Amino acid sequence: MAGSEEVDPALVRAAQRGDPMALGELMEILAPYVGRICGPIALQDGPDAAQEALILVLRGLRGLREPAALFGWVRVIAVREAVRVARRRVPISAMPVEEVSAPGDPELAVDITDTLARLTPEHRAVLVLRDIEGLDEVQAGRILAVPPGTVRSRLFRARLGFRKAWGS
Amino acid sequence: MTENWPVADLDPVRRLRVLAAAVRFPVYVGEVVLPAPFEEVWADVSDLEHELPRHLSTVRSARVTRAEGDRLELLATGNFGQRARFDVVLRPGWCLMRSRFVLGAMAAVPEAAGTRFAALGGFRLPGARLTRPLLTMLGDRAMRSFAERPDTRG
Repeated sequence: MAGSEEVDPALVRAAQRGDPMALGELMEILAPYVGRICGPIALQDGPDAAQEALILVLRGLRGLREPAALFGWVRVIAVREAVRVARRRVPISAMPVEEVSAPGDPELAVDITDTLARLTPEHRAVLVLRDIEGLDEVQAGRILAVPPGTVRSRLFRARLGFRKAWGS
Repeated sequence: MTENWPVADLDPVRRLRVLAAAVRFPVYVGEVVLPAPFEEVWADVSDLEHELPRHLSTVRSARVTRAEGDRLELLATGNFGQRARFDVVLRPGWCLMRSRFVLGAMAAVPEAAGTRFAALGGFRLPGARLTRPLLTMLGDRAMRSFAERPDTRG
């Protein structure tokens, strides 16, 4: 799982007390993780989403009771913030996943971004939680505030879009 | 399957905005786009011993007393002889400085042919809200000083 890194509990406690150096250090540790979540969900708005998510994380840090739960807590905030920011943008090229066209080279990240862009933010969030974070449907549903059945159907449609795009 | 997926980059200027929103005391934040390349701008502003007294009207001198990787210790002397020891994190595009009573930060990223430069400053004092007018005045003056440097006018 991408968020299983250990963070020194003393650093988290110092950041919770508002120490600016600890806040800065914690931000350095969390930024790559938040970027990996926000990038595939919010796409071109990913940096905005990551910025907003980290503001919420650092402002809300005092409410985190157990430092060991840090990455799980950050994941929830980052996913929800990425979906929120992505939904602000009016889709230009959105089309039903069944109509996603095949990209030229499956190795190119730009093709992946293009394929992701043809899914809704909610579908992208399910892909991130299942395929990057390795969560099960119940855990993913809890984060997205939807039943496991909805996660399952979104995942099916999102993966269908990818399969059609890669022509496999 | 996911190794080529897009990753959102939180550049140093965005990190400075996050820090400004997260600290619990009022801070001044200024941003300006300088018509000079990033390498040139950062080479200048990261020379703390020369640049802090040049741009901060309250600082008479600054001296690095210890350096270990990207961590420095800096002794600043004010106009009235008062001294403050700063813990500093300094790496390309990012500088964070904290003394007992003061927080400062600078960040820079390339933007088009120039450089977006951001600075943050605040007093870590009880009743710091009262210092906002002073912060604004000092911050505006420092940002003008950065923006009006002859070697960053392009």
